[in-house]
Amino acid sequence: MAQLYFDDVKEGMSLPVMEKTPTTQTLVRWAGASGDYFELHYDKDFAQSMGFPGPIVHGRLEAAFLSQLLTDWIGEKGELRKLSVQYRGNALPGQTLKLGGKVTKKYTQGGENLVECQIWVENPEGKQITPGTAVVSLPSKK
Amino acid sequence: MVERRIAPMDEIKALQGKKSKESMEIDKHMIRLLCDCTEDTNPKWKDTAPPSMITTAMISGGALALGIPLPFKRSVAAGADWDFFKPIKAGDTINTTHEFFEIQDKSSDKGPRALMVYKSTHTNQKGEVLAVSTNTIMSY
Repeated sequence: MAQLYFDDVKEGMSLPVMEKTPTTQTLVRWAGASGDYFELHYDKDFAQSMGFPGPIVHGRLEAAFLSQLLTDWIGEKGELRKLSVQYRGNALPGQTLKLGGKVTKKYTQGGENLVECQIWVENPEGKQITPGTAVVSLPSKK
Repeated sequence: MVERRIAPMDEIKALQGKKSKESMEIDKHMIRLLCDCTEDTNPKWKDTAPPSMITTAMISGGALALGIPLPFKRSVAAGADWDFFKPIKAGDTINTTHEFFEIQDKSSDKGPRALMVYKSTHTNQKGEVLAVSTNTIMSY
């Protein structure tokens, strides 16, 4: 996994796009691995009683995917410092989600090289269902 | 899952500030289960947990831990923020303090709606703060 350096980051640059296709099995595994057993994510009748077409992908799983997008991008010596997400839409199991991001600001603060990004999860219709922001810390080449 | 009770807004407002504490040891198996599920093959995640471990409901799910009743029948996650200060290592015991911070009544002529805000602080067995988080649930 390549190391990203602060020196190589430019404001406006895009993060590498990542695709994820969580299935119903993914949701069951996530429930077990994360301790989230809300029926909305596995019980069709319950989900429909809440007004959804069926079980929906956990928002926190989408947040985990965004976390992975960032940690893959920043490399071993980078650190994720802040992650913020807003859940504005729902993903259904089986849909391919496109995760992306863009650098909005780079600066040094308290001895750390910090990079702010806009990030998002996009559904197959092209809607950003989970937009957010993130701050990462990167090493310098110097 | 425990059935969430519906309660009047005033009763829920009186619960603002309610806190609970949880403790959980994180082992390598838990890290592997999480990474297998998300297909995160980053070799860094062996003795170190990815930040997504903190984002899980079992760590930062204050709504689950505190069991605050809902004002309306339906609820979904509205958003979340996490500040990460130190990574979780396999073998760490994560001590979390959850707080039901506030409820904001957003009801309008479009219908009933409220935002329930939970704040959590996560420390390790050495007392080092690993992360702080805020999670917002929308009830409608």
